[in-house]
Amino acid sequence: MMMTRRDFLGTSALTAAGLRSPRAFATVDSRPPLAKVEHCIVLWMGGGMCHLDTFDPKRRGDPKTKKAGSDYAAIDTIVPGVQVCEHLPQTAKLMDRMTAVRSVTHNTIDEHATATYFVHTGRLVSETIRYPSLGSLVVHEKPAPADVPGYVVIGIPNVSRGPGFLGPKAGYLNVTETNQGPAGFAQAEDVTAARQERRDALLGVVRAKPTDAAVAAQEDAAAAFRKLAGPSFLKLFDLRNEPAALRQSYGADFGQRCLLARRLIGAGTRFVEVSFHLQFVNGAGWDTHKEVQEKQHLLVKDLDAAYSTLLRDLEQQKLLDKTLVVIATEFGRPPEFDAGGGRGHQSKGFTMVLAGGGLAHRGAFGATDDLGKSIVVKPVTVPDFHATICAAMGIDPHKELFDGSRPVPLTDGGKPIAELLNG
Amino acid sequence: MIRLITLCFVLGFATSVQAADGVHIEIFDRGLPSDKWPTELPAVSEEYDETAFGFIHVPWQYTSTGVRADRGNPYLMRATSAVTLPAGKYRLLLRARSAARLSVDGKRVTELSYQRWYKGDLTPPRHDALLLGLTRFVAPGDQEKLIEVTATGKPQQFVLELIVGGMRGKEPLRPELGETLVAIAPLGSTHFRLLAPGRSIQLTDEGWESYITERTAVHEAIEAEGRKLAFASHEPYWQERRTFAAAFVKANPAPVVPAPRRMLPANNAIDHFLNAKLEPAFLQAKANPTGAQFHRDVMPILAAKCLSCHGSNKPRGDLQLDDRTSTLTSIAPGKPEASELLHRVKATDPDEAMPPKGERLTAREIALLDRWIREGAHWPDEPPLSVSRVAPLTTDEEFLRRVSLDLLGTVPTVAEARAFLADRDPLKRTKLIDALLADKRWADAWVPYWQDVLAENPNIVNPTLNNTGPFRWWIYDVFRDDKPWDVAVTELVMMEGSRLGGGPAGFGMAALNDSPMAAKAGILASAFLATEMKCARCHDAPYHPVTQADLFHLAAMLDRKTVVVPASSTVPVGKLSRKPLVNITLKAGAKLDPRWTLPKLLASDRVPPLPAGEENDSRARLAALMTSPENERFAEVMVNRIWRRYMGHGLVEPPHDWDRARASHPELLKWLAREFVASGFSIKHITRLVLNSHAYQRQASPDRDAFRLFAAPAKRRLGPELLCDSLHDAFGKKYDTDLISFDLDGIRPWLQGGNYGVPRRAWQFPYLSNDRDRSTLTLPKAQAVTDLLTAFGWDGNRQSPVSDRTAEPSLLQPALLANGDAARRLTRLSDDSALLALCLDATSPESLVESLFLHTLTRQPRAEERAAFVALLAPGFKSRHAMGPFAPTPPRPTQPYASWAHHHSDEAVLIKQREAEAVRTGPAPTNRLTTDWRERAEDALWALLNSPELVFFP
Repeated sequence: MMMTRRDFLGTSALTAAGLRSPRAFATVDSRPPLAKVEHCIVLWMGGGMCHLDTFDPKRRGDPKTKKAGSDYAAIDTIVPGVQVCEHLPQTAKLMDRMTAVRSVTHNTIDEHATATYFVHTGRLVSETIRYPSLGSLVVHEKPAPADVPGYVVIGIPNVSRGPGFLGPKAGYLNVTETNQGPAGFAQAEDVTAARQERRDALLGVVRAKPTDAAVAAQEDAAAAFRKLAGPSFLKLFDLRNEPAALRQSYGADFGQRCLLARRLIGAGTRFVEVSFHLQFVNGAGWDTHKEVQEKQHLLVKDLDAAYSTLLRDLEQQKLLDKTLVVIATEFGRPPEFDAGGGRGHQSKGFTMVLAGGGLAHRGAFGATDDLGKSIVVKPVTVPDFHATICAAMGIDPHKELFDGSRPVPLTDGGKPIAELLNG
Repeated sequence: MIRLITLCFVLGFATSVQAADGVHIEIFDRGLPSDKWPTELPAVSEEYDETAFGFIHVPWQYTSTGVRADRGNPYLMRATSAVTLPAGKYRLLLRARSAARLSVDGKRVTELSYQRWYKGDLTPPRHDALLLGLTRFVAPGDQEKLIEVTATGKPQQFVLELIVGGMRGKEPLRPELGETLVAIAPLGSTHFRLLAPGRSIQLTDEGWESYITERTAVHEAIEAEGRKLAFASHEPYWQERRTFAAAFVKANPAPVVPAPRRMLPANNAIDHFLNAKLEPAFLQAKANPTGAQFHRDVMPILAAKCLSCHGSNKPRGDLQLDDRTSTLTSIAPGKPEASELLHRVKATDPDEAMPPKGERLTAREIALLDRWIREGAHWPDEPPLSVSRVAPLTTDEEFLRRVSLDLLGTVPTVAEARAFLADRDPLKRTKLIDALLADKRWADAWVPYWQDVLAENPNIVNPTLNNTGPFRWWIYDVFRDDKPWDVAVTELVMMEGSRLGGGPAGFGMAALNDSPMAAKAGILASAFLATEMKCARCHDAPYHPVTQADLFHLAAMLDRKTVVVPASSTVPVGKLSRKPLVNITLKAGAKLDPRWTLPKLLASDRVPPLPAGEENDSRARLAALMTSPENERFAEVMVNRIWRRYMGHGLVEPPHDWDRARASHPELLKWLAREFVASGFSIKHITRLVLNSHAYQRQASPDRDAFRLFAAPAKRRLGPELLCDSLHDAFGKKYDTDLISFDLDGIRPWLQGGNYGVPRRAWQFPYLSNDRDRSTLTLPKAQAVTDLLTAFGWDGNRQSPVSDRTAEPSLLQPALLANGDAARRLTRLSDDSALLALCLDATSPESLVESLFLHTLTRQPRAEERAAFVALLAPGFKSRHAMGPFAPTPPRPTQPYASWAHHHSDEAVLIKQREAEAVRTGPAPTNRLTTDWRERAEDALWALLNSPELVFFP
């Protein structure tokens, strides 16, 4: 005789006394509504962006005398009561389009790779499962149109951006050089159109009709590649199609990457991660240990130019309400200065920023203490932060995905920041 | 437990070189201070001879079981030789990685200090290299000094002492020599030669490289001998194990080989076993009409959507859908509308709907179930076959390519292909298999497989979760030495030898893991016992009869003590928003003692004889229980892995988890397992049997139905390493990366900065990604290769074991073959291309096209291919030779170079930009062919490279 599912629940509730049945728990409906943002751009500040020297300014310190505090002066923004560092003047004028979440926290070990993985996946590295990155989750839940790549990473490829158990379909296309397009898509300069034609004709001869399904599937992939890699696709990567003044306003390497991100979003790409990258300013990026701190203000200025231009540009193109722009980083940095006048790592309290996406922005959310060391108001975990992005994009952060038979909630119990979604 | 053997070696050269002509090497590695010269030397621990004062490697030392061992760190190396130079004044060049001092006739003439130039992470790149004409440049990380010496014209005693390795705080540095050397040149000349008593070696790039190639071969021979000598002390014990195994085989004979079937071809016993099942299946296939078939149509649905709960383990609601009788309680044959099963899969009420979790059945699946029930729900024992005969034999061309890829990990050369195709010997396939099995590249073909299965995962910068030592080198040695696999698994379980230098101790490492031995027990169980314990890491397995305690008891055996379940290895029930789907029987802090928990495989008291002194060692006991011939699972798992690799589909699937699996050919599996045990656990023996079978030599089929009973082998894709290696050989290019390390200078602790040398094969590449987003921490040349590997399913970041890698077709695969950096290099006719000689020497366009097809695709061109390629290459063929000078050879890394020590500097960024640009541009095309003709030849190569044939086994 078969037991019905209802019977089964009844008996199992007896055997597992004290544990409530799924139904009793199923929906706790204090959840904010899901919004309908279409795209997401994550600006990744690799190395650990110091919140004190950017979006969460505190009393002025001094690296020379090792006086703890911000390295720069604070300035007012157009949101009353919200200040940012003096090197973010353009951003300050757009503060009402964004919210600096100043109370982000996690407690992974103090190491770039581990923290980077955590901020991308919301999970610790595990030996029993490969977690997908946020970008992969988003394209998995909200696939992009077939004629554009759904998920693009502009920067050096890394495992933490990968699709994990969701498999290659939820993976990213990688662009390292802004002007060249993704690896494998741009043709070498010495291969003229005539040569390529010759090549294709020869290949047509060598490529006999596939006699079996495995080879046919490989051929299908090749055909799909040829279809995607057409001139219109590669044109996306040619930034010369943009007005010179706009290109200039975006700034150097990083800005050009941001401009490319906007072009991709405009074409329908769902999720773009842009790695902060400035050659020759300081080799360590935001990892401002010791002397690296001396040139940090140049990074902040560059971020200001690129970020503010991106927001204005998106707004002008009527994309800002449909696009969530996120500034993310693996951790912040402490107010104290090290022996070389730089800063170490701090993950227990730091800032990530949400902009656009039609959220109820308020300039800043949450707060750290007087020196920015620990959180005093409304801590936001990384899963909470991810849940906020998911909810904004209309994706249920509690949905269960499956790695084989293992259920994996989209976020690890993340709760969206209701204030930003509810308005 | 580990006894280091002191080995004395006399080089292979000793017979032809007088002892007095050698350079005598002594190693002192006991109790040396970490940062200064010792005041007195300890006893010598090793001695051997070299032929010149040029050193990049000291032959590995081995533990008493024959695995790589670490020396004391630092150690002191002393090289002594009497050298006679024509009287006169000379310049003498000394280079070494760390401290070194040189004396002549007892008098100190020069020295190099402990590295003092390194001042933390912000050191600028060095510009202090000496410029000495054509002399080889100083290697990254090395120091050098130039002095004047006077030769007397009589023998003079040169003594060089070196400190190798060292400590940085408590952390050992890499014990590397860099390019340590003493060279001399007559005053006024820059023609430096290595100081050597009986030979002349020019210190140019060419001279040095050929000297190093020679020494590397000599060192490999010394090392092979060293392993053999070291293992000798364990030989008696393994003899005892062989006797034990022989007794087992005698008492438990293999299944009888079935009689030959008249209508079906057979080469050996394997075919007889297969034919015994194929014959009735073929007969049945002819008798069976169309209709919904249980095995083809219905079982896959049940397996995908139902069996995880309604399988043979703890079936929910007492319904077991892989059992005919039990299933009949939920269906009414002929009456779909009266079948509970169908009702449930269609139900919309969440309390009735099945499956309750995960994906529901599709409309098509429901329709199939409906039809099958309506037609009477027939459930035959064996699924009928849709094919009615075995596939024909491969052609010689196909066979040669397949067997070369399988056994050597690469394609045959044109000469090899021509020789084999011309051979008229009817036994030539067997002869070829034997020849390839004896080739040392056999090891290259197997290493990547075990890197995946054993989760070999070494790091290139700071360790992250589950980084291990680079025990790839141990795997390589196991195959080079054709080590019996009971011995190999025992070595792996014992985890001895060098941790970061390539010994099995590296397997024992799991960085940042709070229960490393639980991780290792899980890997061993899935690799060798096909027992999947992944779930048991944190809770009892929901779909397997494995509890968390089972795993942690095994972990305790590996740990040789009680282990404690860490908090991270439990499920925090309080945090879940629902009843956990799994049983949690252990709490954090629970203590588990060493205990064998797989009594179904072998009773815990059936331990085979243990080595003397190890009777109470739980790790030794675990190794013995795992590898005992009485534990039939071990041999069966091993032969199934071998079978599956060559046939594309296992006798049992999946290879790592047999809990719910059934063998398609249980007798054959048992027979092969007995062969494995009787042959001394030899992978080579089983490989020979499989490859000689008619079944292996048949044409492949992607049809599940054909390979289920091996009427044809499955169509296989090349694994990423195999694809990459074979493409490089087929298109005549060696890997041209620089040293694979972010810390060329060797200033970081060994654990935080690996050095993987210059890869010869794809398995030698480590995972390069470091999540730091710094162009200065990239290796553009290596990245070009790993990008290709990654697109085809490689993942050098092996945190957990895998038996199968994702290698589905993807957009990126054709993209990288069409326009990727590696592909650009492969299709460029540069002076370092092995295909250039073919192009230069060919006597006609026809013969060139034939050679190119043989070289790349191992086959003759078809008529239309021949026509198209000849039409392309014939114009200008006669005048294709150009007289241009050789293209300049690409510069090798010289100072300044970018490395960890200076990776923050602008200069390092520039260096890396130039490297990346050079990779994008590709190697300079040759000047020996006219541009127009060369470009057409390159277009021909491009078309061949993009042929889908290359991605598959023939």
